[in-house]
Amino acid sequence: MVSVITINKINIGKRLILVGIIFINSCGGSLDTKESIAFQSTYAPNLSITTLITNAKIIDGTGADMFNGSICIDQGKIKKISSYNVLYDKIEKVDINCEYTNKIDAKNRFVTPGIIDVHSHLGNYPSPSVTAHNDGNEITSPITSEVYAEHGVWPQDPGFDEALKGGITTLHILPGSANLFGGRGVTLRNYPSRTVQGMKFPQAPYTLKMACGENPKRVYGDKGGPGSRMGNFAGYRQNWIRAQEYQEKRNSGRTNTSRDLQLETLADVLDGKILVQMHCYRADEMAQILDLAKEFNYKVTAFHHAVEAYKIGDILKENETCAAMWADWYGFKMESYDGILENIPFVHETGACAMIHSDSDSGIQRLNQEVAKSWAHGNRAGLNIKKEEAWTWLTSNPAKALGILDQTGTLETGKRADIIIWSADPFITYSRPEKVFLDGQLLYDKNNNIYPRSDFRLGYGVK
Amino acid sequence: MIRIFNYFLIILIFLLNHSAYAKDLLITNAKLVIDEKTFKEYLASTDKLPTDYINNIHENITIYQSMGAGGNEPMTFFFKDTEADEIMYMLGDTDYVIKNAEGNWVTSGIFAPFSHLGMADIGGEDLTNDISSPGSSTTISEKASDSFNPQSVFVANNRRHGITHAVISPTASGNSVFAGTGSIVNLTGNYNSVVKERAFVLAQLGEKGTQYSGGSRSASLLQLKEGLDTANCNNDRTCRNSLERAINNINKNSYISNSESEFLKRVIRGNIPLIISVERAIDIIRVINLKKTFERLDIILLGASEAWKVAEQIAENNIKVMIDPHNNLPSSFETVDSSLKNIIILDEAGADYAIANLSALGLQGIGTLTQHAGNAVANGLDWDKAFAAITSTPASWFNLSLINNSLVIWDGDPLNVTSTPTSMFINGQEQSLESRQTLLRDRYNPINETEKAYKYR
Repeated sequence: MVSVITINKINIGKRLILVGIIFINSCGGSLDTKESIAFQSTYAPNLSITTLITNAKIIDGTGADMFNGSICIDQGKIKKISSYNVLYDKIEKVDINCEYTNKIDAKNRFVTPGIIDVHSHLGNYPSPSVTAHNDGNEITSPITSEVYAEHGVWPQDPGFDEALKGGITTLHILPGSANLFGGRGVTLRNYPSRTVQGMKFPQAPYTLKMACGENPKRVYGDKGGPGSRMGNFAGYRQNWIRAQEYQEKRNSGRTNTSRDLQLETLADVLDGKILVQMHCYRADEMAQILDLAKEFNYKVTAFHHAVEAYKIGDILKENETCAAMWADWYGFKMESYDGILENIPFVHETGACAMIHSDSDSGIQRLNQEVAKSWAHGNRAGLNIKKEEAWTWLTSNPAKALGILDQTGTLETGKRADIIIWSADPFITYSRPEKVFLDGQLLYDKNNNIYPRSDFRLGYGVK
Repeated sequence: MIRIFNYFLIILIFLLNHSAYAKDLLITNAKLVIDEKTFKEYLASTDKLPTDYINNIHENITIYQSMGAGGNEPMTFFFKDTEADEIMYMLGDTDYVIKNAEGNWVTSGIFAPFSHLGMADIGGEDLTNDISSPGSSTTISEKASDSFNPQSVFVANNRRHGITHAVISPTASGNSVFAGTGSIVNLTGNYNSVVKERAFVLAQLGEKGTQYSGGSRSASLLQLKEGLDTANCNNDRTCRNSLERAINNINKNSYISNSESEFLKRVIRGNIPLIISVERAIDIIRVINLKKTFERLDIILLGASEAWKVAEQIAENNIKVMIDPHNNLPSSFETVDSSLKNIIILDEAGADYAIANLSALGLQGIGTLTQHAGNAVANGLDWDKAFAAITSTPASWFNLSLINNSLVIWDGDPLNVTSTPTSMFINGQEQSLESRQTLLRDRYNPINETEKAYKYR
């Protein structure tokens, strides 16, 4: 018989459980510590180049119809975006009034916002996947809300570079799913940097990874529990009660009480500062989690994996909770058995917030294809979703789930110039990103051989 | 004409239940897509086709698939649509099914070159998972086909993606680099869907193999060689005894029994391929060197992330390769030079390669095979060659003539992710494209306006 571990090794290791290193942190100090200034973003892109992209077929990420137009980039932002009116084959040019140093004719090309992957383990389960690199899951206790994913992220993971070639401009790194409370997630710019701080998305809210179902009960079943789904829920509730007490103490302004990192994270969730990202497969379990959130008055921002989200689209809509899903991963464990190819379009059709996610260093390189597949299957099942609407599953909805939609996720004036120029319609397999801009900076240019290369890539094959 | 035949069909289907042979198949108005290699082979075997057909896409084609009643092999013939009436006249009252492709793409079925299809219900649940047998004392002679469940929901779930045939394989475990014997199955879901029980033997080297052979590359390569040597002894008892002792010294639990070694003889004689999973370039060279001792070995490399670095040697020694064109990350130290150009360079070197979606989840998800082939095209491989790599090429390695046994009608370019099959025929029989997934889909489809409670849908 193959064990779960063998299966891990073959394929799903990054989502399941690997051995971690003990990492316990407790600091003294008072509860009324001001907003933490530790680990601040030092992200500093080069904003000096102004660019005009013309003649492009633009999918702007808002869900609106695609149009032919131009984009003016200045100081890393979209200064202006305008459309040509295409009437009876006559193209009427609308003046865009752009001063630029660099002009790109995107004739026959598609232009979209940069892709945002809401669920990645790049950096905390990096390549090569040696045991020394298993820094994504603190598997020492079911409650580890004190850990921060960013402290386990290796910025030299070659996976970041390959993801960029697939059009990924922003990505969210989460702790693994062994624990009920896994720790804080971090949102990164996919920018080559020596440090994690150099990649951190400025002012993006922190997130909290939580996990449902099989993983926590399997990992802790013979280590003191939880050993069942009942135990999982008891574990959530007991700790939310502790968090409420901590929140009250913190609000009361009492000093001389030691700061508790674990409860600090949970209290920040209750205060609405941290967004809950919850690993959950089954429909019935998601519905119970939403009740749990009501009991403790917090919000579940998004369910991740959500293989059965299509069964409860209405409940997700009512609770304003998003679902981050795969196109066709299913069946590798019991709670993923009911996966269907139309999960994303069905959730979208019911009016809930739907999006793609990778959870894979390979899948992250082709998320447009994952969306194209789902979109086609949805329409084949009788839906009538436009490509432009489906594009929201790649950029605007993940941006919403990460609290950064005001910054990126669509091509609109004032937003970060995170842009992909595609060789053709991105709903076709043969179309690949030709140019990828991050804050207006050209980081990948396929035809001119501009691409980042991790330190790790150097020196192999040298004789 | 069509209506008349449809009318007859009802009677014919009834008759078929009592017939030993499947009915012939006639598909009209097809946009035939066939890879150049298969087409050339076909041309060589017939003088019926005008030469202007040599091109991989042929519009307005009538396809006649004869099921070979009376013990003949099934055969597929292509005609211009203008000849369709004539063909039908010639067929007379032969039992055949007719299908109008309405101008859509028609291809052979997709052949998955490596999978664990139907060998597990839930990968993560040990009792339902027969992919490997770490506690067993036999290794080589265990057949994947004996663990295959043709009615696993994954069979129908993958059939829906155009897969008509698949290699199924065990993986190494316990104390041996030998994983066992792999098989070929079709995806009809029938109880007789094993096409070939003993199709190949799989051995695993590199980091996978070292886990099961004591811990090092030296040990795993030696175990593989000793296994082959033992089989090579034939019935020489002295030879066998000394080798068995040698194997036992390497690993006390490893023992190649008489029957196991008898089995390996087929491999040594080149009757069936030896698939060897290996990644690093130097390890590939070591595998190629096996041919110095065992000249007739028919070696297929599995994985082979660094094959491009030794592409010339691979081609010169007629070594075949199964690779995943998605693999481009240094996931381990033996794949540090993984690259998207792997398949391109192997092609330029003239190597024989198949595309496997090895990175797909649990290898039950072989439905994404067309996507992996499509990405090889996106990275510069010719469409023809990519398509052959998931159809005729790997099928031919196991002596299966795919085009004569399967046909699929698609709603678009089969290598594009937005396309899907609309009809499928295996051995002349139309296959259902329903599956557990489509039933769940239909039950929960938001456009479903039924008032029925969902459990009654």
